[in-house]
Amino acid sequence: MKEKILVVDDEEGIRLLYKEELTDEGLDVHLAASGEEALAKLEKNKFDLIVLDIKMPGMDGIEVLRRVKEKWKNIPVILSTAYHHYKQEFGTWASDAYVVKSSDLKELKTTIKDILNTGRK
Amino acid sequence: MGYDILAKIIELTDSEEAIEQRLKDVANLLAESFAFDQCALYLWDDEKRVFNLTVVAGDEVGCKKEYKEDEGLAGFTAAKGKPLLVAKSNPDRETWRGTVDKGIAGFTTIICCPIKNSLLYGMLYLKNKKKKSISSKTKKLFPVIAMQIATAIKNYQCIINLKDFNTRMKDMQARLVHAEKLLALGEMAATLAHEIKNPLMSIGGFAKRLHQQLGQDSSHMIYVDRIVKEVERLEKLMEGIVRFSVKSDYEFSSEDINRITEEAISFFEDDLKGSGINVVKSLSINMPRVEIDRQQLKLVFSNLLANAIQAMENGGTLTIKTRHEDNWVITEINDTGGGIDPAIIGNIFNPFYTTKERGTGLGLAITHSIITNHKGLIEVNNNLGVGVTFVVKLPVAIKEDRILEVS
Repeated sequence: MKEKILVVDDEEGIRLLYKEELTDEGLDVHLAASGEEALAKLEKNKFDLIVLDIKMPGMDGIEVLRRVKEKWKNIPVILSTAYHHYKQEFGTWASDAYVVKSSDLKELKTTIKDILNTGRK
Repeated sequence: MGYDILAKIIELTDSEEAIEQRLKDVANLLAESFAFDQCALYLWDDEKRVFNLTVVAGDEVGCKKEYKEDEGLAGFTAAKGKPLLVAKSNPDRETWRGTVDKGIAGFTTIICCPIKNSLLYGMLYLKNKKKKSISSKTKKLFPVIAMQIATAIKNYQCIINLKDFNTRMKDMQARLVHAEKLLALGEMAATLAHEIKNPLMSIGGFAKRLHQQLGQDSSHMIYVDRIVKEVERLEKLMEGIVRFSVKSDYEFSSEDINRITEEAISFFEDDLKGSGINVVKSLSINMPRVEIDRQQLKLVFSNLLANAIQAMENGGTLTIKTRHEDNWVITEINDTGGGIDPAIIGNIFNPFYTTKERGTGLGLAITHSIITNHKGLIEVNNNLGVGVTFVVKLPVAIKEDRILEVS
């Protein structure tokens, strides 16, 4: 069975890119354009992994991460953002991985695979 | 006659001439007006605690170059704080009432007068070979003359200090303006970078997909290839801007600058092979440690080394020196790449300023901001036609026991 992942990003272009690239990797990719939409989808579906943007209008990624870890603490979350410096900031420690956005998705794909593989064991 | 001389002395000491010239004029005037064979003027060096011969008028014979603080009539008079009139019967003697002064041999009448107001500035010697009588009115004139000379020297020193202070102020102001400029540019750049990074990621990401799907023989391949490469270049630039503008958290640790320098040099081993560049390392041993962020400092030295290597396309000598001076640990990186055009040297630390075709213009700006964040200094010594030396000064790590003073 395909692993189900949720991509949360406010940029349409990036959602589409993730959808295509990660589908090619054999994943069942679902999208959310905001934190609110992501939480709504989480209520209805069971996901194996979340890729979460930090900087979003409305509820930001850090807040989404906090709520996810409260309610679905077993779902791994990969934070993805344009900056390195969030890495050290308070609030990101709870995520399972941290990936800096780049047009080269290699790092993200490897991280997703690593986390899903550990989960299976 | 007294008032005339005083008026002239005031005029001379107050002139626009250099201080040495003014003192010379005064010495000449005194020797002439009072008809003495020699008039010598010594200035007090408070650090070395000696009187140094500054000017001498008339016959220079037997004039001592220097008096220690307790030596000769100068020392004697300085201790008394009052002018002294010496009348010897035998001009060959070097002593006067037990005070040895080789500078008075050959003279019979000597006036020794401290140049002072609230502070001691020097000593005035008037010497005559033949016996000379000095009226009490003239005697009273000398402390006044000396005081006028002292005032002139004091004013001069004040002006020098002021000028020095002014220069430092201007220097500080320039640094401040530069820092503000960097900050404003940095903020603007960070905002822009964020707006650009996301769409750039889409463009690059989809171009890569196209690249994979097109296949090598497609005629469109070169276009897509170009998009992919240019996006990578822009992403690198954005990375540089973000790194430069966002105050990243520094992880300070006590480090040996020689080791960091060596590590940075080792990055360039491949570039240096066959480059015709001769590397000279002169790393001072027993360097005090510095409190720095290893990674950031490695970036600084890599930037400077990369610039130096790029400046010597046709070979040359790359010299890396470390040394310890006062409270600074200093690293110098010198190339023989011909130097920087003086017209652009003021811009080299400005972000986005570059003369290289594929440069981002951020290397030296980042370098500057890292050094500033380490409370250090970076200086450029440009030797046009020869080469450039970048001097990185980092403060010596303060040992904790020195901070834990009396509480």
